[in-house]
Formats: sequence, C-alpha cells, structure tokens
Amino acid sequence: MTHIYKIAGKIIKITSLHEDIHEYCRDYSSEGKPDFAIETSQADIEFEREKSARENIAEGHEIINYSDGYLEELAIYRKISERMPAYDTFLFHGSVLAVDGLGYMFTAPSGTGKSTHAKLWCDFLGNRAIMVNDDKPLVKITGTKAIVYGTPFNGKHRRGNNISVPLRAICLLERSEANHIHKIMPSEAYTKLLQQTYRPLDPIALAKTLSLLDELMKRVNFYKLCCNTDIEAAKISYNAMKG
Amino acid sequence: MRLHNDFIVHNDGEKTFLIPTGKAEFSGVVKGNQTFRDVAEILRNDVTEDEIIRIMRDKYDAPDGLIEHDVRKILDNLREIGAIID
Repeated sequence: MTHIYKIAGKIIKITSLHEDIHEYCRDYSSEGKPDFAIETSQADIEFEREKSARENIAEGHEIINYSDGYLEELAIYRKISERMPAYDTFLFHGSVLAVDGLGYMFTAPSGTGKSTHAKLWCDFLGNRAIMVNDDKPLVKITGTKAIVYGTPFNGKHRRGNNISVPLRAICLLERSEANHIHKIMPSEAYTKLLQQTYRPLDPIALAKTLSLLDELMKRVNFYKLCCNTDIEAAKISYNAMKG
Repeated sequence: MRLHNDFIVHNDGEKTFLIPTGKAEFSGVVKGNQTFRDVAEILRNDVTEDEIIRIMRDKYDAPDGLIEHDVRKILDNLREIGAIID
C-alpha cells in the first residue's frame, strides 16, 4: 500500500505492508513529487518488536505484544526521523501547544505529566490554546527560528493538529506539591534536552541532529517548572513563558 | 583500541558529551571534562593505552601516575558502556 503525505513541510511517499499507517496519517494526505520515499519490510517490524520488548524489560514491565500494524507505524516514523536531519529537522519528545501563533513545549520523561499539564493549558486558555503535538513533534531549524510541526505521530490519545508555529519556549517539567517556574540558561537544560531528542541510528544523522539541537538552544527561551495538577499551575507557567 | 562508531563526541561550546546513536545498547549521555575530551578525541584513531598516555603526557604536566590513573579510569568507563572497540 502506497500513499503520499506532507509532514513537516516534506512530501513523503510511504509504502507499507499494512493499512494501519495510512489511516493514522490520513489528515496529512498530500500530492506532488516526493522529497523522499519510505518503505517498510517485515525486518523493520521485527526490529521495533525487539526494541519495544527491551524497553518493557528495562522499565520492569511485562513484554507487551503489539500488532504488526502498530509496530509498522513506529518503524515508519523512525525511518522518517532518520531522514529529516538532512532537512534541518529533528524529532523531539515533548507536548507542544500553540497560543496566539507561538509554540510552547513541555518536555520530561514519560509519565511525568506533560500531557496533563498541556491539557491544563487548554482548560485555562480555552480556544486560544491549540495542541500541535502531544508526544513527538518535529522541530525545524531555520535562519532565525525554530518551527515546531504537528505530525500524525502524536501519542496514544491522538492529540494534535496539522499546523506549524514558531517555537517560543521549552519548559522542563517536574512534579511537585507546590507550583513554581523560573527561567533557566540553555546550558542548564542541555543534558535533559539531549535525553529527549531522537538519536538516529546513523552516526552522521546523529551528528547533524546534535548541531541542530545546538542551534535550537539559541532560538528559544528555557524554563523549569515544578508543578501539581491544579489549574493554577497552568496560569503560572503560561504567564511566565509568554514573556 | 578506538571509539566505537555508534558513539559521537560532541562539544556544545562549553562541555564535552559522548552520545550513542540509536543503535547502541547504552542509551545514556556521558558528560566529561577536558581530560575526557582529550582522550575521546585521541580514540578517534586506533591507539594503544600506552600511546594515549604518551600523548597526554606530552600535552600536560602532571604528577607521576596521575595521567595514567585518569586515562585508565576513562577507558574503563568507556568499555563498560560499550564505547570502545579493542
């Protein structure tokens, strides 16, 4: 099965073994001459199966038996993420919202509460807050900006839109009883950002990704937020990050 | 010995990091000081431990045994995470 999509400004031809990915990417359907093509094999699916099993074990969980169709979705996003550094774009693990045309990203290890906090912003700001991508957005580095893109790969709750906005701020999020936010230097955020950046399998693509990350550090503001799940947390973080 | 191809040495202008590709079994990030940076750079080529120590002795003036100790410690740490091909 083959179809063409536009993701993060690139026209991508995707050929798959299963239908799942095409349903998944439906909102990104496109036409035109592809910038590049992605094709999966059963070996790609098995690679994702083994990787997921290793991660389940490392996290102390039982091994989850995912379907081939789901694993193929992971394989395709991995292949896209391997190619995107060549277009000054990389994959980042975070939940990003657009408010008044600017992007605000929350990043933290899985389970910390990024999506929960992003939802608080939606509750606080109503229609002014639009979810760009709740899980793994793509970030493009341009001459002066960092542009964050919605993609079909937006988490288990499928929260996101096919939009792009300039990224204004990235916030490192931690759970705490009381709410507190402060601005931090890029150097304070760097190690944590490295851990949330997709690392390509190819060393050349990784080196390019790291140089893009260095450029990202110059283009956005960084904050550290310690917060609970009260809507007050959203008020505090929004008022600080909007500047 | 040399640095495994699945590990990249990256300097952000202030600090040196050793970062594995997605292929490596080790998935952490190693942050190091100037000595670490020097040893990692030397390991881009195929060298012996004695050669690393000699290069470091030429570069730095340090008490007897200190360079050897630091180099050995760095190499042990790198071996532990699979970053060295012997």
